[in-house]
Amino acid sequence: MRTGHFKESYGQLVALSDSRVTWSWAGFGIALLIALPLVAHNYLLTLMVAAMIAVVGAVGLNMLTGTTGLISLGQSGFLAVGAYTNAMLMMDYGWPVLLSLPAAGVVAALISLLVGVPSLRLKGLYLAITTLAFAFIVNHLILHNAWLTHGPNGIFVSGAKVLDLDIQRGRPLYYFVLAVTVLVILLALNLQRSRIGRAWMAIRDHDIAARVMGIDLVRYKLLAFMVSSFIVGIAGGLISLQIRFINIDVFALILSIEALAMIILGGLGSIAGAVLGAIFLSFLPEVIRYVFALFGDPNSTLYTSYVYEIRGIAYGIVIVLFLRFKPDGLIGLWRDARKYWSNWPLAY
Amino acid sequence: MRMRTLALSAALLASTAAFAADPGVTDTEIRIGDVNIMTGPASFIGRAVALGSKIAASEINANGGVNGRNIVIVTEDDGYVPSRSFQALTKLIEVDGIFALNGTSGTANVLAMMPLIEENNLPTVVTTAPNELIYNPVRPSVFTIGASYEDAFYGQLKYIHENLEPENAVYGVIRQEDDFGVTVEAGYDRAVRDFGLKDGIRLRYTRGTTNFATEVAQMNAAGVNVLANGAIIAGAANVLSEARKLGMEAQVASVWSENMPPSVNLSAPAGYDYLVGDYVALTGPAVDDFIERARQYVTEEELAGLNRYTYVTYIGLKVLAHAMEQCGQELTRECTVEQLRQTRDFDTQGLSGAISFDNDKQLSGTAIAVYQLNAADRTFKALTDFVEY
Amino acid sequence: MEFLFLLVSSGLVAGAAYGLIAMGFALVYKATGVVNFAHGELVMLTAYISFTLWTTFDLSFFPLMAITIPISMVIGLTLERIFIRPMLGEPVFSIVMVTVGLAVILRGVTIMIWGPDPFNFTANIPTGVIRIGGVPFYPAQLYLIGALAVMALAGWAFLRFTRMGVAMRAVADNETAALLVGISVSRIHAMAWMLSSALASIAGVLFAVNYRLVPDLWFQGLKSFPAVILGGMDSILGAAIGGIVIGVIESLSQGYVGQGLREIAGFIVIIIVLMVRPYGLFGSREIERV
Repeated sequence: MRTGHFKESYGQLVALSDSRVTWSWAGFGIALLIALPLVAHNYLLTLMVAAMIAVVGAVGLNMLTGTTGLISLGQSGFLAVGAYTNAMLMMDYGWPVLLSLPAAGVVAALISLLVGVPSLRLKGLYLAITTLAFAFIVNHLILHNAWLTHGPNGIFVSGAKVLDLDIQRGRPLYYFVLAVTVLVILLALNLQRSRIGRAWMAIRDHDIAARVMGIDLVRYKLLAFMVSSFIVGIAGGLISLQIRFINIDVFALILSIEALAMIILGGLGSIAGAVLGAIFLSFLPEVIRYVFALFGDPNSTLYTSYVYEIRGIAYGIVIVLFLRFKPDGLIGLWRDARKYWSNWPLAY
Repeated sequence: MRMRTLALSAALLASTAAFAADPGVTDTEIRIGDVNIMTGPASFIGRAVALGSKIAASEINANGGVNGRNIVIVTEDDGYVPSRSFQALTKLIEVDGIFALNGTSGTANVLAMMPLIEENNLPTVVTTAPNELIYNPVRPSVFTIGASYEDAFYGQLKYIHENLEPENAVYGVIRQEDDFGVTVEAGYDRAVRDFGLKDGIRLRYTRGTTNFATEVAQMNAAGVNVLANGAIIAGAANVLSEARKLGMEAQVASVWSENMPPSVNLSAPAGYDYLVGDYVALTGPAVDDFIERARQYVTEEELAGLNRYTYVTYIGLKVLAHAMEQCGQELTRECTVEQLRQTRDFDTQGLSGAISFDNDKQLSGTAIAVYQLNAADRTFKALTDFVEY
Repeated sequence: MEFLFLLVSSGLVAGAAYGLIAMGFALVYKATGVVNFAHGELVMLTAYISFTLWTTFDLSFFPLMAITIPISMVIGLTLERIFIRPMLGEPVFSIVMVTVGLAVILRGVTIMIWGPDPFNFTANIPTGVIRIGGVPFYPAQLYLIGALAVMALAGWAFLRFTRMGVAMRAVADNETAALLVGISVSRIHAMAWMLSSALASIAGVLFAVNYRLVPDLWFQGLKSFPAVILGGMDSILGAAIGGIVIGVIESLSQGYVGQGLREIAGFIVIIIVLMVRPYGLFGSREIERV
C-alpha cells in the first residue's frame, strides 16, 4: 500500500510543479491567450502586447529588486539600451530580428556591469539613486551621440520577419511577444529555484550572513544585474518592435518608477506578483477611462477640460490606496482569497 | 443548389463591400480624429488645437455640414509621449472608427503614428508639426501645412540684416538639442551663408533646461548682438532675462511659440522688442474677423486659450472639409486623398497664405510673415506680408 | 576673468535653489528615514498657491512669505497625516512608493487647478540690476542666495539649540531610544514634514521668481538630488552646501566643456560620491563594507 507522495524520477524532482491542477490551469490559461486573437479586435491586442512587454520588464526587475533585494530605478536606461540596440542592429546593420533581440539583451547586460560594479558596496536607497543617475546619463549619451544612435531624430524600426511573417503587426506580433513572455517567465521561475536563485534570496535576506556562509557576493550581485538587464533589454527590443519608432522621449524616467510600482503592487519578490502587477498597471488607464465613461457626463465642461488630468490623478490614487491597504500586493490578495476559500466556513 | 446559393450570396456580399462606406462615415456624420496633448505641461497647445477644431467643426456644421453630414471630432490624449500617440491612434482607428485625422501633436508623435497612417491610408492633415521628417519622404495620405522653423528664422534674420542693419553685427544662435533645434540652426546657417553674416557662436541646450546663465554669458563673451533665440516659452524668457541682466543690446529672432499670449507675458518684461516669424496671421482684420465668428460657437472662457495653434488647426480642418465636400455622397478615404492632392489656392480668409497641395511634397502654407513685438504694450505689428523663403 | 565670475555667480544662484530644495529632502529623511519623492511637487504646489495669493492681494515678498509659509506647513501636515501616518510600520520602500504615488497626484492637481500656462511671478521684488564687484545680479537672485544662507543658519541653530531640534536629532539617531526617553516620535515626524514644506515654499517662490512659474517645476526636485547625496542624506547643512557646490560645478562644466554637461554633471557627481564616500560630505557613517 502506498502512502505519501513520492517522486520516483529525476524528472519529477526537477519539474516546475508536481500538481496536476496547476498544470491544467496553466495549460488552460495559455490556451486562452492563444485563442484570444481570434475573438478580440486589434486595439485589445495592442493593449495585450503592451501588457506582455510590461510583464517581461517587470519580471526582469523583480529578479533584481524582489529576489536579490537590489533596488533599481534605472530600468528606463536599460529599456532604452535594449530598444536602441535592437533598432540599430536591425536597421543599420540588417540583422534578422531573431538575432538582434537577444543581442539587445546581451548589450544591456554588459552595460549593466558598468552600473553594477560601482554599486557593489551600496544598499537600499543609495543604490536606487545610483541607478537613477545612470538612467539620466544613458538618455543623455544616446541624445548626444548621433553618429551611433541617430541622436534626436529617432529610429524607425521596420522589416522584422520571422518565418516570412511580418511580426510587427497584429496577430504575428501578439504571438511573438507571447512566446517571448512565456520563455522569460520560465527562465525566471527556473532561475529562482536553482542555486543561483537561492543565493540571491540569501543576499536579500541578510547579505553578511550570506557572505559568512560562503556565497560570493560580488559574483551573485553582478549576475543578478546582468540577468535582470538581459531580460529588460529584451523588453526594450520588443517595445521598439511594437511602436515602430523610438527616440529618447519614449524612455522617460517615469518608466522606471512605473516598473517599480508594478512589482510592488504585485507583491515584492514573487514572479506571479510581477506578472499580476504589470498586467494590472497596464490596464489601469483603460479601466479608469471606462469607469469615467460610465459615470461621467460627457457634456459638462468639467469633464472635457479635466478628464485627462483626473485620469492621471486616479492612477496615483490607486497606487497609494493599494500600498496603504494591501501592502502585500496583488499576490497577497490572491493568497488571502485562496486561504479564505479553502478554510471556509472556518476562520483558519 | 445550396452551394450555388452560397457562392452567389458570397459574391454579392463581396461586391457590395466595394461600395460600403469607409469607416467613420455614416449618412449623418463624419468622424474626424484628433490625437492631442491634453495633459501635461504642453497641454496649452492641446487646448488651443481643440478650440480650433471646435470652431471649425461648428462653423462647418452650422453651414450645412459636408454634403449634409455633420463633422464630429473624436479626441484622444497622448500627453506628448510618442508611444502613447501610437496607442491613441490605434484606439481611434479600431474602436472609434475615424475617417480622417486632423490633430497630430508633435513631430515625434506624428512619426510614431506614421506606420498606422500609412497602413490605413488615413487622410491626415498635419498642421502643428511642419518638420521635414514628415514630408520627406512624402507619405501618400499625409498633407502638411506650415513652414519649417528654418524658413521662419531665415526670414527673420533676413529682415534684421536688410532692414534693421545693426552696427558691427555679430550673430549667434541658441537652439534645443533635438530635431526642432536642428531646423532652427539650419535656418540660421542658411542666413549666415547667404548674407555673409558674422557667425559669433552656436549653442545648444538640452530640452528642459531652465538656467541659461552660462549660455548667455558665452554669447556675451562672443559679442553677440543679433540673437536667433531657439528657446521656447519659459526658456526663451529666461534667455532674454539673463541677457537683460548682462546689459546686452540685441535684435532677437524667435520661435513662433513666442507669439502666444502666455509666452509674451513671460518674455516681455525683459524689454526686448523681439521678432517672430509665423505662417499664420497674428494681427489684423483677418484675426479680428475670426474671433468675431468664433464668439458664436465658443464661450469667452474657452476663447481665452486662443493662440496660433487654434488658427492652424482651424485651417487644417477647413481644408479637409473642403476636400471631402468635393467627393459628394460617395465619401471614401481614397477620394478624399485625391481631392486633397488637387487642392489649389484654398483661401483661408487671410489667416495664412493660400493653401495648395498640388506639389510632390504635399506641403503648403510655407509663406512666412515677420512680426515685431512691442514689449511695452505687448502687441505685435506686422513687418512683412506672407513671403516664401 | 569676467566670464569666470559670471559662471560662478550664476552657479551660486542655481546652487542656492538646489540647496533650499535639498534641505527639505534632507530634513524629512533625517527625521523619518523616508525619501520624499513628492518634494519637488510640493515645491511646485506651494509656489502656485503663493502665486494666487500674490495676484489676489498684491503683496510684496516678505508679507507674501509670511502667509505662504504657514499655509504650506498646513499642507505638509495634512499630507503627512493622510498619506504617511497610516503607513507606520510598513517597510521604508513602501512608504517611498506612496510618496511616488503622491507625486503623481499632486502634479495632476496642480495642472488641473492652475492650467498648463506658464506665469510671470515677480512677488513685487524690484527688477533693476545690481552690480556687486562688477558682476550683475537681479535682486531676486540675491534674495535666493540670501534665503539659503538664512535658512541654513536657522536650520543649524534649530537642530543645535532648540528642544525640538535636539529631539529630532534623537529620533534620527535611534527612534526606539527616543521613544523610551519620552519624545513623541509621531509629533517629530509631523514637525519634520511641516518644516520641510516651509522650506519647499521658500524654494518654490524664489525659484519661480527667478526662472518663471511653470508646470514643469517639479522636475527641480529630481535635479536637487545630487545636492542631497553630496551633502549627506541626513545632514541639513550638508544639503545646503552640497547645493552650492553642485550649482557651481554644473555652471563651470557647462561653460568650459559644454555639450549639455550641465544637465548630467550633478548625476556624475552622485556616482563618484557614492563610490568614494557614500555618506557624503557631512552625513553620518552608515554604509557597511562587504
